[in-house]
Amino acid sequence: MADLSASQRSKIRRLSQPHEHTPDEAGGELNIVPFLDIIMNVLMFVLATVAVTFTTTIESTPPSAGGKGPRIVTESKSLNLTLFITNDGVSIKAAGGSIAPGCEGIGPGITVPARGTDPETHQPILDYAAVTTCCKRLKDQSQDFKDETQIRITASNNIAYRKIIETIDAVRQTETGEQLFPDVLFAVPR
Amino acid sequence: MNPTAPATAPKKATVAQYKAALRAAKRRNEAEPEIDFLNITAMLDMMTIILVFLLKTMATSSTSLPQSKDLTLPASILQSQPHQEGVAVIVTKSQILVGDNPNPVVTLPSPESRAQSGLDAQYKKNGINDLHIVPLADALLNVREIDKKVREKKGLDPNTSEAIVIVDETTPYRLLIEVLYTLGQSSFGKYHLMVLQSKKKG
Repeated sequence: MADLSASQRSKIRRLSQPHEHTPDEAGGELNIVPFLDIIMNVLMFVLATVAVTFTTTIESTPPSAGGKGPRIVTESKSLNLTLFITNDGVSIKAAGGSIAPGCEGIGPGITVPARGTDPETHQPILDYAAVTTCCKRLKDQSQDFKDETQIRITASNNIAYRKIIETIDAVRQTETGEQLFPDVLFAVPR
Repeated sequence: MNPTAPATAPKKATVAQYKAALRAAKRRNEAEPEIDFLNITAMLDMMTIILVFLLKTMATSSTSLPQSKDLTLPASILQSQPHQEGVAVIVTKSQILVGDNPNPVVTLPSPESRAQSGLDAQYKKNGINDLHIVPLADALLNVREIDKKVREKKGLDPNTSEAIVIVDETTPYRLLIEVLYTLGQSSFGKYHLMVLQSKKKG
C-alpha cells in the first residue's frame, strides 16, 4: 500500500478529531436540569411548610326535644343514658335515675365533678377519663346493655362546642378501643 | 542490479486510499455517544397528570377548609372518612353561612350574649327562647329545593336532606342547638358534624 504524505496524515488527524456540539446542535433538546433543581427546592419548601389537616364527621340527627326529628329508641331493658354537661361537671342519668357522684349507685349530685374552671375560656375542666370509666361501668352492669350504642347529650347554654366533642369522644370508646356509645343524639336543655 | 540507478520514489497514495485512511481514523477516534441529559418527558407527563389529580382532589375535599381565627374546628379521635354529601352550614365566631353563598345569613352578636339565650329575638319566630332561626330557615328553604332535585336525580331519598355542619369550637351549646333545631325543621334529617382528626383525646 502506498504511504500517505505528511500533509495527508496531518489532514486526516485534523478531520478525524471528535468535535463538541454547540448548544444549537444538541438535537433540539432544552437543558431543563437547572429548572428541575429549582422546582425540587420549591417543592421541598412547600411540603415542609404546608400543614395538612384531616377532617372527619360525627353523624347525628335533629335534636329530639320539641322537634320533628327521630327520637331515641327506648326499650324496657335499655340503659338509656343521658349526659348533662354543666359548669360544675358531667351529670349522668340512666333509665333508673341520676347516677350519684363517683358513679356509685343512684343519687342526686354531679356524677363526675369538674376539676376547676379554665381562667381564659371560663369553661369547666372536665374529667373525661372518669366519664369514660363511669360509662363503661354502667354498660358492663348487664348483658342487656351490651348492644346499646346510643347516648343522649345535652349541656348548659354556655358550654362550648369543643367540650361537647370532647365528651362525645369520651363516651365513644375506652382507652383500649372498646366501643361504648358511639351514636350521639343531642337534646335541648330544659 | 545497477547500484548507480536512482532509487525509486515512494509511491504516492491515491485519493481513494486517502479517503479510506480518513474514514478509518474517524472510526478510531469516534467517541461513544455520551448521555449528558436524561429524557424525562415521560416522567413529566406523569407528574402533570398526578398534579392535576391532586389539585382536583384537594379542591373538592373538605380538607381544604380554611382555618382562621374566625373558624377553628374542634379535634376528635374519630378516624373515619369525612362525609362529603350534604349542604354545608358554617357557624363561625361572627356569622352563619349556608352553602356556597359568601353572604352571611345571620351576623352573630357578642359571645357573652349568645352564650345564654342564643341569637337575639329579632331572628326568632316566637321570642328569644324560641329555637327556630328565621333567616337561617329561609336560606335553607332555597337550598333544600335545589338539594331535593339533586337527590332525586341521584336516586336518593328526596324527602330528607343531609347537612355538613361546620362549627367553630367556641360556639356555645345554645347556638349549636338552635342551628341544629332549625335544620331539623327545614327537612334536614341527618347532620355530619365536621371535626379535625386527632390521635389523642381532648
